[in-house]
Amino acid sequence: MTTARALDPKHFALGERFPEAVHAPDSVEALGALVRDCNARQRAIVFFGGGTLQGLGHVPERYDVAIRVGRINRVLEYDHRDLTIAVEAGCTLAALGRALAAHGQFLPLDAPRSSQATVGGTLAGGWLGPRRSAYGSPRDFVIGTSVVLADGSVAKAGGMVVKNVTGYDLSKLYLGSLGTLGALVRVNFKTLPIPQTRRLAFAPLPEGTRGRALKHVAALSIEPAAALAVSGFSKEIDGTEGPDGRVIVLLEGSPRSVESATRELRSALGSAGVPETRLVDSDVEVAFERIVDAYVASLGARSATYRSGGLPGDATPRSDAFVRVAQSCKLKLETIEDIRSGDVIARLSTATTRDLEERLVSFDAERRTALAGARVLAAPQAVRARLDAWGALPASLATMRALKAQFDPNCTLAPGRYVGRI
Amino acid sequence: MDASSGAELRERLIGALGDKNVRFAAEDLAAYAYDAYAESSVPFIVAAPSDARQVSAVVRIAAACGVPIVARGAGTGLCGGSVPTSGGVVLSFSRMNRVLSLDAANRRATVQPGLINFDLSRAAEPFGLFFGPDPSSQKISTIGGNTATNAGGPHALAYGSMSANVLGLEYVDSLGDITRISVDDAGYDLVGALVGSEGTLGIVTAIELRLLRAPRAIRVGVAAFENVEAASETVSAAIGAGIRATALEIMDSTIVQAVEAHYHAGFPLDAGAVLLVETAGEPDDVAASERALATLAREHGALSWRSAGSARERDALWASRKGAAGALGRLAPNYYIQDATVPRTRLPQAIAQVEAIAREHGLRVGNVFHAGDGNLHPLLLFDRRERREVEAVVHAGHDILVCCIELGGTISGEHGIGYEKRDALALVFNPNDLAAMLRLRDVFDPRRLFNPDKIFPSGAVCAEVLAAS
Repeated sequence: MTTARALDPKHFALGERFPEAVHAPDSVEALGALVRDCNARQRAIVFFGGGTLQGLGHVPERYDVAIRVGRINRVLEYDHRDLTIAVEAGCTLAALGRALAAHGQFLPLDAPRSSQATVGGTLAGGWLGPRRSAYGSPRDFVIGTSVVLADGSVAKAGGMVVKNVTGYDLSKLYLGSLGTLGALVRVNFKTLPIPQTRRLAFAPLPEGTRGRALKHVAALSIEPAAALAVSGFSKEIDGTEGPDGRVIVLLEGSPRSVESATRELRSALGSAGVPETRLVDSDVEVAFERIVDAYVASLGARSATYRSGGLPGDATPRSDAFVRVAQSCKLKLETIEDIRSGDVIARLSTATTRDLEERLVSFDAERRTALAGARVLAAPQAVRARLDAWGALPASLATMRALKAQFDPNCTLAPGRYVGRI
Repeated sequence: MDASSGAELRERLIGALGDKNVRFAAEDLAAYAYDAYAESSVPFIVAAPSDARQVSAVVRIAAACGVPIVARGAGTGLCGGSVPTSGGVVLSFSRMNRVLSLDAANRRATVQPGLINFDLSRAAEPFGLFFGPDPSSQKISTIGGNTATNAGGPHALAYGSMSANVLGLEYVDSLGDITRISVDDAGYDLVGALVGSEGTLGIVTAIELRLLRAPRAIRVGVAAFENVEAASETVSAAIGAGIRATALEIMDSTIVQAVEAHYHAGFPLDAGAVLLVETAGEPDDVAASERALATLAREHGALSWRSAGSARERDALWASRKGAAGALGRLAPNYYIQDATVPRTRLPQAIAQVEAIAREHGLRVGNVFHAGDGNLHPLLLFDRRERREVEAVVHAGHDILVCCIELGGTISGEHGIGYEKRDALALVFNPNDLAAMLRLRDVFDPRRLFNPDKIFPSGAVCAEVLAAS
């Protein structure tokens, strides 16, 4: 059902731009016809899933029409014995998770706000979650896609088999393209069996223990499903914070391996001077989702969040750089450092909305040396146009421009939104 | 190519690479006319650059002369992907075969494309690391070739094919420019687009790869069955039950007979099929998974189950599995290996149909395949000197592809499309799908000088297909 509110342009702001119209087609054919029409009339489109990752990217140069894909949301094929599933792109992550869980399977997409977030939006946003070092990235689970291209035609790539080298793997290009090459309408995944046991371990870090604790966790011989060093986020994320923050480790596997991993973790943390590790064995999924939700959680209009990716070996220097620059710009800093993947999530905030904009703009300028690759994950609409959303430009930008020109010659799809204002 | 422009190409290449590294004598060229596919075509010249700058020079010179460039690793490809079907320059990576760096702490390595797959795992071993993709050709095939075809191997089941393990590339584009790209770059995933593009988009000159931590325990077991169907049903059941194996490989009796005669690894000779099962990880989990698999095998009528007692026994079983195709030389002068994938629950049907197709065409077939991934490799035995047999193989190969597509599968799981299967691509993808792929081609290689005649349907078929779009 589409309510009037769901189609009200004022809920579809990007920066300070609003679309003239919002559409919510209920079929791929209807979506294709809409896109074809917009393309012919040079009306710029932004696709919306659940809107949870719309904080990514530049404010588009032109923005005439928002198209919600959320009504195109069926599970199309699921033979659970094959461990493959095909869903329409508007399917929410929660609905996908429920369909899979009914047969003891899951997909570690680990994107925030799973009851709103859609499969299409999560993949188009290039989301990378904390369990990817253990299970692989979304790009490793996608075995096929269909997209509506700028001319309204539908093109598929890949298939419903887990191993496939037939033709170019165009799915890889659509993932992370933020709707600038087409709209994902169907995604085929390979799935995983749900681990028998899940356990979260929370350890507050006493003063001066952080460096060693992180090093010991990184060196665990039984690798955890996720390992994070969190500082701040006390409202969003469970666990008592110590003077050096807290370490949160997700263990998944057989009961015996989780037990062995727990013993190893406790002893590794103990020898780093971290005496206390609290274990949570019930509702682990819910607690873990709360952690993931924090990645884009904003404090009204007085915070902004960046993601810095890179090697695990230099995550701590990047964390330290955030501390330095935030301090010099008088911004409060909270971080989630992913010990396994090397991601650093940094939320910057001020006590009042009024102070944020100027401090954030100077932060964004200052961070360009030490944190060149950091990207904006979420920021208040009023500030967005003044931030460098993507960070350092890739060496292959000219090729990316050529790719955009091939797939969207009229610049119908979110013009100016992408890297290098593509 | 006329004599004067040929001479100019030769002179310019010699100028850039030195005369030792440019070959054009007939006997040298003959060696580069083939890969492991049946058809051959002699290149005009072979260039063996030593680094990315020389690759760039070769590309610029070839482009200026308007001749095709075909990159070549070890020439083990089975689909004619490195056969220079339109002549031109073959770019050999024989001199670019080093590990450039190995960062054990961050578990990555950067290598040159000519590095042999197996040599990477050997270099990583002292650090307790290994490289995931292990095509059966891994002792001769190169990382560059593996990247071009998005190669897999038995362990792709657990560790993914090349695309899941390539983190970055350095490549030379059609203008001769050298670019470095990474999966961590902001923007489109060009690494994902280049891996598996079979040399048609750019010439890769360095590859950054993910290394994996060696598992603490590995176990290999062998179950014997009366027939391939029973073995396949065991695999389907294991996948459906969520038992995590790192490899699930089936060999039928034809293959088992041949490999036992050659390797003496101890596979049961009286079985209709054997299932090779590997589990790896934490010792407790590995033992539990193996027990679960052995139980499932028995429930599906396994005649016997044996666990490899030692690392040596395990290696012997693997060596014979990976040498299976080669061992068939005992049974027939030639074999043709097909590569197709079906949804894993369709394996028993696919195998039954493959056998029916072989019977219908009067051919013997051996089946050895990556059952856990639904990736079939029927080996059709024939004698190249018998015209009837050659024709029968071509038709049977095609019928197998059609049958796999009808079962919901596709025409290549890991070998690539190359020259051989390009017309069959139109059986899988409609004109819109192919047009989207050609847009990507146009971005990277508008003049079609990188490995022409590959992947996309041949002129007539392609025109027909695209006219319909």
